[in-house]
Amino acid sequence: MAADLVLDTAIRDWVLIPLSVVMVLIGVLRYFVSKLMRSYQPPDPKIVKEGQLILRARNLRAAANFIPARSFRARRLYFSNEENGLLFVPKGQAQNAQAQMFSDPNMAMDMMKKNLSMIIPQTLTFAWVNFFFSGFVAAKIPFPLTQRFRSMLQNGIDLSTVDVSYVSSRSWYFLNLFGLRGLFSLILGEENAMDDTQRMMQMSGFGFDPSKSLGAEKDSLDIVQHDWSLPKFERRAEAVLKKLIS
Amino acid sequence: MVTKTEESQVNRLENQVDNGGGGAWEYLCLVRKLKVRRSDKVLKHGLSILNDPKKRSTLGPDEWTLYEQVAVAAMDCHTLDVAKDCIKVLQKKFPESKRVGRLEAMLLEAKGSWAEAEKAYSSLLEENPLDQVIHKRMVAMARAQGNISGAIEWLNKYLEIFMADHDAWRELAEIYASLQMYKQAAFCYEELILSQPTVSLYHLSYADVLYTLGGLENIQTAKKYYSSTVELTGGKNIRALFGICLCSAAIAQLAKGRSKEEKESPELHSLAALALEKDYKQRAPGKLPLLITTLKSLKIS
Repeated sequence: MAADLVLDTAIRDWVLIPLSVVMVLIGVLRYFVSKLMRSYQPPDPKIVKEGQLILRARNLRAAANFIPARSFRARRLYFSNEENGLLFVPKGQAQNAQAQMFSDPNMAMDMMKKNLSMIIPQTLTFAWVNFFFSGFVAAKIPFPLTQRFRSMLQNGIDLSTVDVSYVSSRSWYFLNLFGLRGLFSLILGEENAMDDTQRMMQMSGFGFDPSKSLGAEKDSLDIVQHDWSLPKFERRAEAVLKKLIS
Repeated sequence: MVTKTEESQVNRLENQVDNGGGGAWEYLCLVRKLKVRRSDKVLKHGLSILNDPKKRSTLGPDEWTLYEQVAVAAMDCHTLDVAKDCIKVLQKKFPESKRVGRLEAMLLEAKGSWAEAEKAYSSLLEENPLDQVIHKRMVAMARAQGNISGAIEWLNKYLEIFMADHDAWRELAEIYASLQMYKQAAFCYEELILSQPTVSLYHLSYADVLYTLGGLENIQTAKKYYSSTVELTGGKNIRALFGICLCSAAIAQLAKGRSKEEKESPELHSLAALALEKDYKQRAPGKLPLLITTLKSLKIS
């Protein structure tokens, strides 16, 4: 095994600490910029209504056995008849989310804003780190690791002889980029902290289609077998009262 | 819904604050979070914070939330001067805010100047047609003025969109029942049972409405719902027990001429009567003879 590398203290003072501080500051700055650019969007009444509708239909499905058969049938007809039932979505009218996104420039604009506030500072800082700090061994983690971690921890130095527990400056940048969430939640408050990984998840969750869930709800409502459970309750009430009296 | 642990927590904090143990701000936060209505306490403790500049400044931006909370509580307690002061402070801080606009409209309503309040609410509603609070204020205002049909209209409009809001359904059910529109009330109670099938009160009210509607089928159904109430409350609900007796009597009378249907639970009414007698014996022995004569006059067999 090679002798331990001695890292210059100047590297600590001029690479490790500045890099970390800059990353934190950029995170804070980005938070405020995205807060400034965020536009308030009033919720669409149609979407709110559909959400409530689904909730109510789900209630009906779950508790169907607690109301008389006639009431249940009337409600089911109201929800899922083929003419004007609330859950019935005529074919073709259901526009998919993609089309909706293109038809509404506001939505695309919003997404672009979010993207910009994420991508621009990231590219800039990456370029900055690459330009000034490439090639440094910036830190050492206090435990040994296997060779597989080399690409994660020693991005930017192509030396196979250096022990894996040394961290290169570029890798330090990446570690900061994804690992500062806890610190942000301390600085900016619990809900405000959002690191990039989360943001990416949010992006992929985009494109939820309400008409599809309406259709699914209608189908499951259609197959509900109504079995009024109240007649059973008379006997159960008898049992309860018997116990009470005795 | 406020759970039991949350309620006991509120009560404990309230007790502590009342006895000068501090923690007023935590109490107010909890009240706001759980949306419970303790306006007098909120007013008292909120004002004690707001009137103390040192305490107030430690809140930071939450100070304005507290102003709002105290304003609403003050209106609830009809101390309109306090509410007016709070709203004035907020108005100065957030001149264009709709949320403050809502408070101002509420102040107008509290003063009883209905027309102006309605105008203010309507203009707010135009800007944001999905504001649930304003919709509910409109309903409340219509009711306060005795304009019941107006209240029904507003509630229906509200339920058109927010159809999963069971509190609104309950309000509508009570209004319909008070107007003797029992069919509509029954529909609302069914909706309530669907959303919260284990709340015995809804079963009981539904049974009441069905019994009032009359007719053999309805009364049979009512009896079933009275029994479900008995089951859900463990036989502790006196009204449900009486309901079972009354329903059995009515069914016996209505079904007299017809072919005797096979009864599903022949003992139920006598059991209910026995349970009633036992309960009266324990808690109101003086009224026992009254009960016995009543039951005798109902006696079915």
